[in-house]
This record gives sequence, C-alpha cells and structure tokens, in this order.
Amino acid sequence: MFEIKPMLSALWRNKISALLIAVQIALTLAIVSNSVTIIQERQQKIDRPTGIDVENLIGITFMPVPTEYDMAGAVVADLDLLRSMPGVIDASVTNQLPLSGSGSASGYFLEPNQEIGDLTANYYHTDPHFINTLGMKLVAGRNFREDEMKILGAHDNQISDVAIVTQQFADSAFPEESALGKYLYSGRDDHPTKIIGIVDRHLGAWPSWNLAGNVVFNPMLITGNHKRYLVRTEPGQRDAVFKQLEDKLAERDPQRVIHVETTEENKRQSYSGDNLMIKMLSVVVGLLTFIVALGIVGLTTFWINQRTKQIGIRRALGASRSNISRYFLVENSIIAVTGLTLGGTAALIINEAIANNFSQPPLSLSLLIGCAIVLLVVSLTAALVPALRAANISPATATRSV
Amino acid sequence: MLKMQNIRKSYRTDTIETHALRDFSLEVNEGEFVSVTGPSGSGKTTFLNIAGLLETPTGGQYLLDGQEVGNLSDSERSRLRNEKIGFIFQGFNLIPDLNLFDNIDVPLRYRGFNAKERRRRIEKSLEQVGLSARAKHLPAQLSGGQQQRVAIARALAGEPRFLLADEPTGNLDSLMARQVMELLEFINEWGTTIVMVTHDPDLARRAQRNIQIVDGQVSDLRQTIAQPEAAIA
Repeated sequence: MFEIKPMLSALWRNKISALLIAVQIALTLAIVSNSVTIIQERQQKIDRPTGIDVENLIGITFMPVPTEYDMAGAVVADLDLLRSMPGVIDASVTNQLPLSGSGSASGYFLEPNQEIGDLTANYYHTDPHFINTLGMKLVAGRNFREDEMKILGAHDNQISDVAIVTQQFADSAFPEESALGKYLYSGRDDHPTKIIGIVDRHLGAWPSWNLAGNVVFNPMLITGNHKRYLVRTEPGQRDAVFKQLEDKLAERDPQRVIHVETTEENKRQSYSGDNLMIKMLSVVVGLLTFIVALGIVGLTTFWINQRTKQIGIRRALGASRSNISRYFLVENSIIAVTGLTLGGTAALIINEAIANNFSQPPLSLSLLIGCAIVLLVVSLTAALVPALRAANISPATATRSV
Repeated sequence: MLKMQNIRKSYRTDTIETHALRDFSLEVNEGEFVSVTGPSGSGKTTFLNIAGLLETPTGGQYLLDGQEVGNLSDSERSRLRNEKIGFIFQGFNLIPDLNLFDNIDVPLRYRGFNAKERRRRIEKSLEQVGLSARAKHLPAQLSGGQQQRVAIARALAGEPRFLLADEPTGNLDSLMARQVMELLEFINEWGTTIVMVTHDPDLARRAQRNIQIVDGQVSDLRQTIAQPEAAIA
C-alpha cells in the first residue's frame, strides 16, 4: 500500500539530496528543541509569582544634599506624608527596592558563633508597614511591632532581635520543622534573631539570582547617606500618584535629590535579558523551521519535476491522484523521520553539554517528542502543495516522447 | 471490447484550436489484434490515450467492455486502467530507480493484491518473458529488447483483457523487434485483445486488422489477415 521498500530503494539511489534534507531536519530538531527548552525555562522564570503587588508599587530613592542631616526625622515625616496622599494604601522604608537588581545579601547561621555552613539570603531593613506595602501574605506568626524597630548608624552592628522570613528560606533553614520561634545568627556572633513571622513568597532584589526567594526582613532603619521608600497605591492610581511623588517630597524638603521608579519597570528591566533571549531564540526557531520547510518544498518540487514522466507512468499503470500525493508524502515522511531520529539523538547530546557547561535545564523527552511532531507536521505541510501538484500530472504524460 | 462512436478530441490554446480526432468511430472485438498506423500527427497517440483512459474525449461515446467510460471520475478511470488495460510504451517507461521485480510490482500494488499474490504474478510474468534470473537488476543494466520484455511482463502481470502498445518496437533493432512481436502474438493467442500503434508496415501486417488514421479520422479498415501482402505494401 505505501510502497515503503521500493521507496527506500529509490531514495537510496538519490541518497545525497535526501540525506541533506534529513541532516537539515536533524539539526533543526536539535537546535529547536534545545532553544524551546531554554525559552520555556526563561518564560517560567518570568512568570513566577513575585509574591508582591508589582503593578501598584512605586520605589523612591533620595539622597540629602547637606552632610549633617536628620535622616530618622526625615523618614518619619516622609512616611507620614506618603501615607496621607490620596490613592496611597501604605508606604514603608527600605534599604532596597524589590526586583530592582540592586540589594544586599548576608549569610545566616542556625547556631551561635558558627563560621561555616551559612544560608545566604537577600535581606531588607524595613518597618512594620512592609507586609501591607508590598502586598505580601503572612502565612505564620506575626508582623513586627513599632517597639521592635531599631534605628542604627551606618557603622553600628546591624543585628535585629526579630526577623520575618520567606517560606522558601524557612523551609531551607528548617526543613524538618517550623521555622517559627527559631533563631538565626549572623556568624561569629551569639546575638540571636528570633523568627517571628513567615511570608509566603518574595523574590527579593535579584529575580535572576539562583537563591531568589531566600529573603529575611529586619525591623531596622539605618541612618546612612541615602534612603529608600516603597509606596503601594490603590489599583489604577499608580501613575497619578507617581506624578506627584517627587514634587510632594521635594516640597516637604527640597534639600535632596529624589528618584522615583515603578516596580513594574524594575521587573521589566530585571527580566530584559531573559526577554531578549526568548525573542532571539523564538526568531531562531521560527527561521530554522521556515528554512527547513523551504528546503522540503524545494526538494519535493525538484524531485517531482525530475520524475514527471515517472508520475505519468504510475498514473497510466493505475495510480489514482491520491496514490501519487501519498507517495510523495510518505517519501517525505521517511526522510523526516530519519532526520528526526538523528536530530533527537543530537538534541540530547547537545543538551547534555549545555546543561553541564552553562547550567541550562535538561531537555525533557516529552518536549523533544513534541518538537519532533511539530517538525514532522511542518515537513508534511511543506510537502503537501508539491505533492498535490504532482497528483495533477496527466497519465497521458506516459505516452509523450519528452 | 472497445467501441468508439464519433469521438472528438480537440486541444485549445488562447488562439488556436487543434482537432486531434474528428468523428472517430471504431470497434475492436474481444481477442482481436489490431494495428494502428498513420503519418505523424494523424492522431494515433491521441486515439491510444483515449482508448487507454489516459485522456478524456471532447465528445462522442466510448464503451469499454460494454461500459460507458466517458463520464467516469478520475479514480474510476484509474481503477479501470489498472484492472483491464495493460500498456506497452515505445520508450519502455520503466522506473529507473526500481529493479525489475519492483517495476512489475507497481501496478499490482495499486490493484491491492497481497504480497504473496504479487510475488506469484511477478515471478510468473518474468518467466513468461524469459527474465526470471534478472529480477533484481535495474532497467539500466538491460538491453533495449530486455527492457521492453520487462514492460510487457509488467503489463501481463495484471492479466489485462486489453493491451495497448505504443510503438512497442520503435526503439529496438530488427531482431529484438521480431522477438517482441512474437511475444505479443503469443499473448494475443491467449485471448488478450491487443491494439498496437506502429509506423512499421511489416509489423502492421502481422496484426489481424490494420486501421489507418489520417487527420484524426479512420481512413481505411483492412482485414490484413485476409489480404495478400502486396495489396498492403
């Protein structure tokens, strides 16, 4: 019915062109499946829940011009002003802006005076308003109290008595039991920091960091040379509030440089590399698939032109139109399946090298099969138009002398 | 077996209409061996194409084995070609990429025979043309006469009731032409109806009946078997 054996022997006699297309399909599958793996991994990374109200958050950074500056007083006054603005849900002081790519990390130990074996986490110096400001969810324990806030200088020992951590950090620090009520130490020190609360999730300052999600919040204000605030607005009010912020803060105290940015923009910039990678690889995938489709159209058309007489003979001998188009589609499938088998093997080898050397995710068998099926459909679709054209070749061609 | 009445076939371009067959009427009986002659461009190949269901006539009536075939669909025509008609072409028309076995197998696959039946028919037909030992050879490895015998074997394997031969000896030397002709006569003796288009008057005379086509019409019907050779020459 499908003439596989005679088809194979005919292909064997035209093996160079068939092999070239098979190799092209193989390379396309190897590159496309690995590219799609990377695209998927990057997209999953971008789509991860941040745990915060990204769309309605605004970050403010200011640096006072005078060298002698009452930073603690300014923060209290600024936060009062910010929280009183129409459209603002809450505001909080912070040492870093979420998803901004700029922040601080520290090692945390589970025993006093420990020197090795720390757990690294991104940390915030903030205040009791931070959960509401960021829009996070407290899943265990309690929030900070105002009396737990510490106001420290830049050179003081910046250790707090209490901390709130993310669920991810709590699970990695205390995998067997609840982290609530447990203590953290800053290393070579015996001052305990008690975990009083756990929030469900927050990626911290660096979403691309391999430990993103390990975050510790401390109730602390460091009176350094600059300070940051986070402002959460009501839905739909962010841009209106954004426009007023710089003027309002400058109006209250003009002796400082103020910079305002949205968390949404910070998130976009943090993932710009990933987005660029996704776009570039998508173009590569699209182009390669298009080129392989063109190659198949070209080869099938060439073979049909070369075999016009043969098609006429087959028609004269009783082949129906569908027999002829099926012949070319099956022939194309044989080449495609050969290429896809080679390409599947190549894809796994390439992925092994990429995964080992560039920390890329492993290629799943289901994705490889999915890509192979898509390429098979593309190759069959590409062969379909010339194959249908071949079916229209007249059986009378068999009796023509040229 | 074959009955054509007032068959017309014209080919039309933007500016010209060419009449290849005009009011062409012919009847070929079951078991007859008919030769068709005529000058180049007279319409012999068009007649052969229509008789073999390779082309459809522009007008007229064509009955094959009592069945009106003028209005059949393409797939029905393909099935009839495959089941009832065997073709022998001037240029042999073997598929160069396939060995002899696979070449003969082509129409049998379209017929839907199982592998065992196909093998039986292929081996039998190769034996009939004396090429059993060459089954795995490619056409290019054979002489012209052998290739034409393979083409005949391919036509015979389907056990057609009607064999159409288009200049079957046109590309062969006289010895091989004679061998092929003898083979066709032998096939006709089994009861297969044969219509052979040829330029060769000697071959035409060996048929039971000769038809001459001139300007797309049958110009002369002669019972060659009943007439002396001199009258035809």
